[in-house]
Parts: sequence; structure tokens; C-alpha cells
Amino acid sequence: MTDLELVERVRRGDQGAFRILYDTNVDRVYRIAYRMAGEDDLARDFTQETFLRAYERLGQFRGDAALSTWLHSIAVSVSLNGLRKFDRHRKRERPLEGAASVSGTRKGLEPDVRERLKKAVDALSEIYRTVFLMHDLEGYSHGEISEMLGIAEGTSKARLSRARAKLREALGDTVEECV
Amino acid sequence: MMRDDGMSEERLDELIAQLADDYNAPPETPREEIWAALEAELRVRDGRRGAVIPIDRGRPAGAQGFHRVAGWAVAAAALLVLGVGIGRMTAPVGSAEGNQALAVSPAERASLVHVATVEHLGRSESLLTLVRADASTGRVDPHVRRLARDLLTETRLLLDTPQDQKGDPEMRSLLEDLELVLVQVVGAEDSEVDGKRDAGTELRLALQGMDERAVLPRIQAAMPSGPGLPGT
Repeated sequence: MTDLELVERVRRGDQGAFRILYDTNVDRVYRIAYRMAGEDDLARDFTQETFLRAYERLGQFRGDAALSTWLHSIAVSVSLNGLRKFDRHRKRERPLEGAASVSGTRKGLEPDVRERLKKAVDALSEIYRTVFLMHDLEGYSHGEISEMLGIAEGTSKARLSRARAKLREALGDTVEECV
Repeated sequence: MMRDDGMSEERLDELIAQLADDYNAPPETPREEIWAALEAELRVRDGRRGAVIPIDRGRPAGAQGFHRVAGWAVAAAALLVLGVGIGRMTAPVGSAEGNQALAVSPAERASLVHVATVEHLGRSESLLTLVRADASTGRVDPHVRRLARDLLTETRLLLDTPQDQKGDPEMRSLLEDLELVLVQVVGAEDSEVDGKRDAGTELRLALQGMDERAVLPRIQAAMPSGPGLPGT
């Protein structure tokens, strides 16, 4: 069954088709929501809202992109808006605490380096963090990201490059010392 | 390759690879819980529109058709008759309203009450599932609150039916417990309106009471296990 056929069945009121659509996509939707939110409750809310919006906007699905891509783009949008709404993003964008003291960290503190890296990711601005999470942690291609976020593929690459540069900058030469 | 800032691409890749297992690493997807909440929300939304109810309790694909408007219409008619019946029972003796006979027999009325009760419990189950899903945010969606208020009114209507029409103490107890939970859900809204912003506390208390009195399992046990309302 093609994406368009599945969508058409859901639009005609086929409950089983909607369950198929849900089962096929819920894992990826929940994963990206969780990556962005970092909390189960929020990820559940965002996942539910994603499918609700998809259900109500099925008529807008033209089949130009894959149904999964269309759904994931809704998931990203819902998650970003949700995070803004809950004012959690502001907390993430706090300046790195003690970033200047990273240099000279003792060798062999790998867990500490990972912790520094996590904080550096949290400190990324929304546009960089989103592309970084989608590409480097969730494995989306730049082509998929460009479709989902409605940006050029080159923009996606540039944002990732910038994100990685910021991470490298935040970690300084500490990482080499820890190897 | 080493960079000017002292970190190689390979080393950064290695760290990022580790981060994938570490940073906001998603647990197993709570599929059924999310589906239940989704289903409840769709029921509420479509019910509010009086349209087709698209999701039916998450049964396997193809196992169920959709509930149609007819189910709601039957229940609405039953509640209407019920309401008229209550009005008649509470009207002063000898009044014109009280003397006006209803066009249904006691048996038919009992049947309608049963249909209305089952439908009412079904919508209450959906609502309570949704409230539970919303509780983590400490808020209840405005349209859910409106529905809670409507259900509260209907619950009271059902509780006010003459005992001989129900003859079911367990059902009465369930409706009383349901009423209490709904009062708390509606109360959460009031606390927000008052500017206290403690809707989350109200919701937690409502859910705690609901769990202690096993309201949801009792609702589920009270409803027929079939696909929906008779005739739908």
C-alpha cells in the first residue's frame, strides 16, 4: 500500500489504516521528540500532538514527500513549538557554566568530557541544535532534514558545520588531553 | 585531521557517537499509552463536533468500523427523555407538567437510561484518560474542561433518576465517584481563573482519588465489551 493509499483510507474513515499509520511511524516520531525534549512526559505530549495534527491535516498531504518525512516534519515543528511554549528552551540556552575552566582538565576523565559535551549541545541555539540532533544523533540525511525543516540542503549542512564548530570551540583542547 | 583549535574531526566524531547513546537517549516508545491518549483526544474532538468518531479503543487494524453519529443521537435522545422524566418526577403534584404523560413506557425508559448511562460512561472514560495524559503538564485543555462540565451535569442527571429505574447500587456508587472526580477536574479550571495557578494540584488530587476508587476499571467493567452502542 502506498502512502497516498494509506492516507486515503484514513480519510475515508478506516480506523485500522490510522492505526497502521501510527504503528509505522510512532517510534521515529517519539525518538525525535524525546531527543529534543529530553523528558518522557513532553515527548509523549509532542508525539500525541504530532498525530493529532497529522490526522486533521491529512488533506494537505500530497505525496510529494514520503509520509514519514511529512510526519517527522510535523513532529519537529510540534516539539520546537512545545519547548518554546513550556519555556524550557530558555533554560537550555543558558551560558555554559564554568566553560572557561575546561582547559587543563585532568587526563582520563572521559565521563566528564561527555558531560561537557552535553552541556555544549544544550547551549547551542535552536537552529543549530535541531540540525545537529537530527543529523548526528538521529541519522537523518541533509536531504531529509531540508525537507522536514523547509530549508535548503546547503543550509542544513552549514548549520551542522556551525554546530560542530561551536561544540569544538566549547570543548577547546581538553578533549585531546583526555585521550 | 587536527584542527587549529586542537581537536581532530575523528575525535569529535568519536565523542558524538558516544553522545548518541547518552544525550536524551530515548527509552522504548510507550506506544499503547500514547495511542490511548490519542484515541481519547480524537473521541473528544470528534464528539464535540458531532461527527464520526474515528478511533475505537485501539483494536487491531480492521477489527472495528467507526462509530457513527447515530450512537450519539440515540444517547442524546435518551438523555432528553431522561431529563423530561426527571422534570416530571420533580414537578408539583397536580401541575399540568406533572400530569403530562410521557410517551414512553417504564421499560422503554429504563432501556433508554441504560443506553444513556453506557454512552455517558464511554465518554467519561475517554475524558479521564485524556485528563491523565494532560496531568503531566499541570493543565487541562479548555475544551476538555468544557466537556468535563457537561459530563458533570449529565452525571447528576443520571444520579437524579428515580432509584426504581436504575435499581443498581453499584452503578450509583460508580456515578457518585465519577461525579467527585469530575468536580475536581472542573475545579482545576476554577483555581486557575482565581489566579491561584494550582490546577496541577487539583488534577493530581483528582487522579489520586480516581485511582483509589478504581473509577476507570469500574467504568470499563460496567460497559459492554462490544464495539459500541447498540445499533451503532
